[in-house]
Amino acid sequence: MKMKKVLFAAVSAGVLMLASPSFAATELTVQRFFGACDADFGTNTDVAKAVGECGIITSLINKFNADNPDVHVSVSTVEWPGYDQLTAQFASGEAPDIVTIHESALSDYQSKGLLMPLDDLLKSVGVTPDAFTDAARNGATKDGKIYGLPIDSWTMLYHINMDLFKQAGLVNADGTPILPKSPEELLAQAEQFKQKTGKPYFVQNLANETALYTRNLYTYLFQQNSDFFADPKHVKLNTPEAKKIVEMYKAIFDKGYTTKDLDYGGAINAFLAGGGGVQLNGTWVVGDNNAQSETKGTALNKGGYAVYPYPQLFAGAHAQYADGHTWAVSQKDRTPEQIAAIGKFLKFFADHDFDWSRTGHLPAYKAIIASDAFKALPHRNTIAAVADLGRPLPSAVQRQFAIQDIVGEEMSAAITGQKDVDAALADMESRVNELLANI
Amino acid sequence: MDDRRATPRTVLPAASVRAASVDIYAPQWRNFIFVAPFLFFFTTLLLVPLFWGMWLSFHKADTFSSGNFVGFGNYVRLFHDKVFLQSVWNTFYFVLLTVPTLALIGLFLALCLNRRTRTAAVLRTLFFSSSVLSVTIVTLIWRIVFIPNVGLLSTIYGWFGATAPAFISDPSLAMIGIAIATVWWCIGLPMMLFLSALQQIPQDIYEAAALDNANRWQTLRSITLPSIKRTFVLVVIVQIVLQFQLFGQAWLMTRGGPNNLTKPIVLYIYDTAFRRWDLGMGAAASEVLFILILMAAMVQYLVTRNKAGQA
Repeated sequence: MKMKKVLFAAVSAGVLMLASPSFAATELTVQRFFGACDADFGTNTDVAKAVGECGIITSLINKFNADNPDVHVSVSTVEWPGYDQLTAQFASGEAPDIVTIHESALSDYQSKGLLMPLDDLLKSVGVTPDAFTDAARNGATKDGKIYGLPIDSWTMLYHINMDLFKQAGLVNADGTPILPKSPEELLAQAEQFKQKTGKPYFVQNLANETALYTRNLYTYLFQQNSDFFADPKHVKLNTPEAKKIVEMYKAIFDKGYTTKDLDYGGAINAFLAGGGGVQLNGTWVVGDNNAQSETKGTALNKGGYAVYPYPQLFAGAHAQYADGHTWAVSQKDRTPEQIAAIGKFLKFFADHDFDWSRTGHLPAYKAIIASDAFKALPHRNTIAAVADLGRPLPSAVQRQFAIQDIVGEEMSAAITGQKDVDAALADMESRVNELLANI
Repeated sequence: MDDRRATPRTVLPAASVRAASVDIYAPQWRNFIFVAPFLFFFTTLLLVPLFWGMWLSFHKADTFSSGNFVGFGNYVRLFHDKVFLQSVWNTFYFVLLTVPTLALIGLFLALCLNRRTRTAAVLRTLFFSSSVLSVTIVTLIWRIVFIPNVGLLSTIYGWFGATAPAFISDPSLAMIGIAIATVWWCIGLPMMLFLSALQQIPQDIYEAAALDNANRWQTLRSITLPSIKRTFVLVVIVQIVLQFQLFGQAWLMTRGGPNNLTKPIVLYIYDTAFRRWDLGMGAAASEVLFILILMAAMVQYLVTRNKAGQA
């Protein structure tokens, strides 16, 4: 009798083990940056309740898992931008199925054949590139094929503390902030701001920073029509245009118109505490800053929060540096179920791009930009212009993150006075070209 | 070939049966089994990567493919790269900042805590406890101390209406900031080595000195310090080898900035090989670091050999 029971249990267990794969959900591994916030949103599936990049993406993936019991997405979160890990994962054959990659970094991986072209897969789930905005489509297209599902376009913005702007007398009659139209005006307004409020005009994260410096430089090079990457293998940065920009930021630094020793987190806290007039930060903090401005007792609630694209300081093109986030898919052998599951995931994000645009990023889809729901989001009337202004580096430029580090290091050295401006620009140019020559 | 075995065999034929089975010095291949696991891992994890690294350093290679043979091309590029030369200087500067400090503070702490009281035992544990922390925790703690505006240092300076030095971003202070965090983290090992050396000094020498009316200073200079000289050399060399490999603190506290002033060689290698995918040049930089550490290890070997000869 006992033996019979044991046998029965063993057979049942065996049958269950054999049977379970047919019921098991298809596993997908997803790797992303945007931070971790499981304490707040770890189980939230109501995307409308989520705020900020991390909250919204966590809730979106939770919702995807809840809505699709046949697919299970396991997420690993990496520190921004996560390319060191990703490269190592690719090299060891352990790459995740789906991963966040900037449009500016796509060509590094695509040129090595590590990413899967998505045209057919997207078409099979009803997502066609003509629905993307021009910026998103151009950013995600390499060698004529789509290599990432674009989810947004982002850029740097002027995040403004209106209370301090009012104190500084930098407000128009209609309540909008007065922004500079030339480098000279910028310095004059910054001086006026400092005199009236006793605080720096800019809140910048300059401590061991490279990205902010580089994006500032690219933006104002575009505005002077400097075609510094005419040849994607050779940069021209030791130019009068670049010198003008570096000298402008150096004057801002030397005259105390900016915070100096803050890191990224410190700069956000300083701005939210009313530590300066304008924070130079990306589209991704619009949602968080707006939430702060609606909270009583905060520095941004006092006089309001406004956000604008970078002002046009030069007479050239109306443009500013922009990039975008995409979901890319690693190249590997997969079953039809796995490919279908990936298609479902990408389709889900294409369908929920409005939710993602609540972060402050601009949508990657024309229909969403044109929608009333998007226009009704706070501050979109002032920043929607970025969809036309945004300009990336030419897509054939490889190692854009490594270039960003070099440009940022040299700019930082020049602005903080470690190096002469001319020497820094010469080193910047030769270091980037040395890097590009050896790819 | 084996004379010892041959001689008894001719003189005492009766004993030959026993003699044949007792030579414990004869090579026995089955003994190889005992060292085989070590040799396997030594070869696969140390020797192969060592020679592979050398091979890579002569090639133009990226993370996903190894390209053409370029001879000493990578080395030439390396020694023309201002950032690499800066990182070599940074590494030496860091070693110069930390090693003497670790040796002297370690010795000082050991001298103070070399007693059998409960307080000394508690303090010994306390000073050693930082060594068990991971580099991530250590740098997190020191970032909280150094961070501008809201950090511990800023708060303390704020009480006196002063501005705290910017240990993370000031070009002249950033490396000192990393050195402070490192000394705090690594002080346990030198202290323990000195303590064990101090406890091995025979007590009767101190008793003899006391009988001779030697004061504390004389005892320290003429008995304690000479007795722990070898440990001092050991501590200095071990720390040189360790601190040459600075990476985590610099990466997590300053990312090598401002403008590469805190970028050590290992971070340069990481940057070049894994962030720029220039694996060949990264391998070349690794070989340079290997030679530098090898030199430090050779010095240790020579110093300890000479000391052994004298003894």
